[in-house]
Amino acid sequence: MKILVCMKQVPDMESKFKLSPGALWYDTADLAWRMNEYDEYAVEQAVRLKEQVGTADITILSIGPDRIKETMKKALAMGCDRGVQVADDVAWAKDPLAIAGIIAEYARSKDFSCIFTGMQSQDRGSGQVGVLLAEMLGFPSVTTIVDFTHENGEYLVKRELEGGVKAIVKVKGPAVFTCQLGLNSPRYPTLPNIMKAKKKELLTIPVEQLQKTAPQQETTRIFFPEKKGGGLILEGDIPALADQLIKILKEKTSVLA
Amino acid sequence: MNFELTEEQNLIRDMVREFAETEVAPTAKIRDEEERFDRALMFDRLAELGLTGIVFPEEYGGAGADYISYAIAVEELSRVCASTGVTLSAHLSLCANPIYLFGNEEQKQQFLAPLARGEKLGAFGLTEPSAGTDAGGTRTTAVKDGKGYILNGTKIFITNAGDAETYVVFARTDKQAQKHHGISAFIVEKNTQGFSFGKKEQKMGIRSSPTMELVFDNCRIPASQLLGEEGQGFKVAMKTLDGGRIGIASQALGIAQGALEAAVNYAKERKQFDTPIAKFQGIQFQLADMATQIEASRLLVYSAAYKASHGISYSQASAMAKLMASETAMRVTTQAVQVLGGYGYTREFPVERMMRDAKITEIYEGTSEVQRMVIGSALTK
Repeated sequence: MKILVCMKQVPDMESKFKLSPGALWYDTADLAWRMNEYDEYAVEQAVRLKEQVGTADITILSIGPDRIKETMKKALAMGCDRGVQVADDVAWAKDPLAIAGIIAEYARSKDFSCIFTGMQSQDRGSGQVGVLLAEMLGFPSVTTIVDFTHENGEYLVKRELEGGVKAIVKVKGPAVFTCQLGLNSPRYPTLPNIMKAKKKELLTIPVEQLQKTAPQQETTRIFFPEKKGGGLILEGDIPALADQLIKILKEKTSVLA
Repeated sequence: MNFELTEEQNLIRDMVREFAETEVAPTAKIRDEEERFDRALMFDRLAELGLTGIVFPEEYGGAGADYISYAIAVEELSRVCASTGVTLSAHLSLCANPIYLFGNEEQKQQFLAPLARGEKLGAFGLTEPSAGTDAGGTRTTAVKDGKGYILNGTKIFITNAGDAETYVVFARTDKQAQKHHGISAFIVEKNTQGFSFGKKEQKMGIRSSPTMELVFDNCRIPASQLLGEEGQGFKVAMKTLDGGRIGIASQALGIAQGALEAAVNYAKERKQFDTPIAKFQGIQFQLADMATQIEASRLLVYSAAYKASHGISYSQASAMAKLMASETAMRVTTQAVQVLGGYGYTREFPVERMMRDAKITEIYEGTSEVQRMVIGSALTK
């Protein structure tokens, strides 16, 4: 079984962000970089699937400049078998269609039976790459998954819908899954596995070889939202307040699923 | 010259930091108050992450990483809990390392491998009521008897004691020999007949790390558990402490870093005269001094660790690193309490614990005075 995991390196979300000159993206100087949190769940699910089926080969793919290799090594240390860096210094400027196009170009004819990725990135947050990729490959996609099981080439996954509703979806591979927080508990890369990751294959492909899809979106400006004062103030008597609070917790958070 | 960490060292820092913040930090306060060693968290989890044998080769159950990785691991653990930091440092530097350096192949397979894999916890017994800084004053005796030795005596202030399964212990094998020459090192296992534990110390800091007495009462040890050659014990102890100092220097560094971060965060939040106190130059100067001293300590610690990894003599470097980092930890934690003011003095905030924890780093594995002796005598040889 061949598994592909698509991962993005993002800044530590506790960083102080500044806009880059021209205000088309954030300034990438002096930031600490991490694996996109949603993608950690994708890596973990791929490794668990491999552990379940016994023999599988997991490729971790990421698009970006040389610094992404360090984050890719974390994925290798968590249990991915090989890495593919699509070298691209201006990946940040590409729209989701162009990014999905690059991945599809790589993944086509590679015989992947299962593709995992985060449901969105923590920086751009379009939430489109996974579904666009599935469409381009002609695979079914299941988004926002919170549970995953596999049996005889068939996947049974739980999706999260709005308002606390869940859905169970059965799908045959090959398929693309986009992972929601809480899908599993991503493992720590242990120290021996960090050392072993050094020896795993990490291939670099120039983006020009895979860039066949033209972008259809252009970001014209990014900006910080205007500061709004205070939070949400609920009004009414206590039972009404409690009802409102429960409703908000159910709809906006996973505290009361 | 390159001051950047490698990708592996960065990954190790990220991993240990995430583990420390997620799993170790939440109980640091309560374990301190209850003086409770939580082995499942403070040692078994470290073993699962491959931290208990960081620097040893894979053939002996280690991870084959370098001393800088080890320093980073102890630093990151100590940043949130100095007791967890010293548990690892005493286990690895003081127990596993002398077996790696001086043990024969059978001893490495039998004792080092389970320590490195974290199946067994290690401890080190050198200090006695009349021998600490003066290791030559060791009074515990090991008398040859048939195919083994019989140990008698008491060791005090032993980190990890009681919980540890494997102990490296020093005893006098030759009463006639000059002070330093008659001492030998032994590997002693818990549950050996005649080996028991005395009182548990009630300490000012690192309260969730157990410290106890070791009592040897006609304790018979097979000759196969002599570590190194008979009479070589003083050399074993000194070499072990050279490495141990890197561990304690890293612990001190982590404590200081944790205190600085707590002080910076507080200063940004705390308002006086309608202004966050971090905006006041008086506070900024204190924070600047703290950060500068910590960074200087870090460079000394990593430099000593680099030397240890590359076969370069590091006795003086580790003494300098330990002296600088431990005195920095004491100064920085005291300043952190000052920045937090009244809140800093309460147990609601972690800086008072860090201040109590910092003090021991100026004392154990060679007091600051001993570090100055090591550095001074090397300078004036």
